[in-house]
Amino acid sequence: MSTRTGKQIIRIENVRKAWGSFTALNGVSVTFREGEVVCIIGPSGSGKSTLLRTINRLERQDSGHIIVDGITLDDDLKSIDAVRAEVGMVFQSFNLFAHKTVLDNITLAPRRVRHWNREKAEQVALELLQRVGLAAHAHKYPAQLSGGQQQRVAIARALAMQPKIMLFDEPTSALDPEMVNEVLQVMRDLAKSGMTMLIVTHEMGFARDVADRVIFFDHGNIVEESDDPRTFFSGPQHPRAQSFLTSYSGL
Amino acid sequence: MKNILQDRDSLTLIGAMLGLALILGLMSMPLAMLPAPIGPAAEQFSDGALTTIKLTLVSAVIGLVLGVVTAMGKRSHVAPLRWLADFYVWVIRGTPLLLQILFFFLAVPALLQDLNIPLQISEFWTAVIALSLNVGAYNAEVIRAGINAVPHGQIEAARSLGLNPLFTFWDVVLPQAVRISLPPLANNMVALLKDSSLAYAIGVVELSMVSSRVQAESF
Repeated sequence: MSTRTGKQIIRIENVRKAWGSFTALNGVSVTFREGEVVCIIGPSGSGKSTLLRTINRLERQDSGHIIVDGITLDDDLKSIDAVRAEVGMVFQSFNLFAHKTVLDNITLAPRRVRHWNREKAEQVALELLQRVGLAAHAHKYPAQLSGGQQQRVAIARALAMQPKIMLFDEPTSALDPEMVNEVLQVMRDLAKSGMTMLIVTHEMGFARDVADRVIFFDHGNIVEESDDPRTFFSGPQHPRAQSFLTSYSGL
Repeated sequence: MKNILQDRDSLTLIGAMLGLALILGLMSMPLAMLPAPIGPAAEQFSDGALTTIKLTLVSAVIGLVLGVVTAMGKRSHVAPLRWLADFYVWVIRGTPLLLQILFFFLAVPALLQDLNIPLQISEFWTAVIALSLNVGAYNAEVIRAGINAVPHGQIEAARSLGLNPLFTFWDVVLPQAVRISLPPLANNMVALLKDSSLAYAIGVVELSMVSSRVQAESF
């Protein structure tokens, strides 16, 4: 794919993160290119989500370097906020602002951070809602929406900041199977549009079809990496990946 | 303005305020029809009630702001701010309200005089200071509980969108925290309304002062 030639946008060098005796990231180094769709898979507690969360500083790494779009993530609050404005994140539990309507959820950050006026922010928000198929729900509150709808709003909210990179932290794990598909469809469309996407997921079928690259995590390390998801899923090399994938039937 | 008029909650609030003003303004009329000693003193009673309401409302507003600020102080990363907030709540909750009122009425003016600060505070505003400091300390704990009850994911979502800590607090955390704190805050406001009668001790002519005067004159 064309992403092979895309320029480097995230560089992670020897990043470590531990809580007490539990090591979440054990010296991880990896780079991501512009326009790339990378699926990160692996067992629970293997460090996939932690890696994602260090990229926008929801977790602070203990050591190592993270450079996002030319900005080095250190303790400088300005550079952290600058990175966060360029990196959208979608959470497992949606985390829509419960006291705000769908429209206000989406327009809040562009108005505060990008200093757009209300008109412009709402116009962009409505376009995004159209894109995720929820234009009719603009004035509802999150509690009035289904899980799948909430997650699509969360994606629209992140996109409203016009990020260069989108992080997805198990976006479909809290959804029932029917809702999973509506969210995955939005993500597929987004991938086609050329967005750089890092996706932590347990949806192996989706990873196989959409990913440019698959990364397999175990015990805080990347144990296998493949630029050819179809080959990876039909015949993983690492024993841990083999045993992990046998628990998924139908691949 | 257009937005306010379209919002049902705001309309309810405005309606309630107009209703309160109307009741207070016209209260002396039905009171005047009552037998002695209330009837002849109707004006006094309605003025006293007005003072009680003013005392309560002004103290409630200041106390709410104090509560939010103190709750923020208690959660601050800056240790001295935390100590200050803790100390304030500790002192206020650990001493009787009557003592606090008397302190601001008797001790503070003497202190001001010693320090050569030419500041004279009326009885009403002395009572306001004491009452709002008092209710502020209780509000702080209630609002702190509300802030702690806002799911952490809300903060993470706001921060991940690039909102700075101030906007995160103002736009995301505080509105939800206040909503959660509303029932116990209402408790504190009702308690404040009744506690305001202690202002009588320093000569503020509020409702209980009026009744005691009328009693003294007529009994």
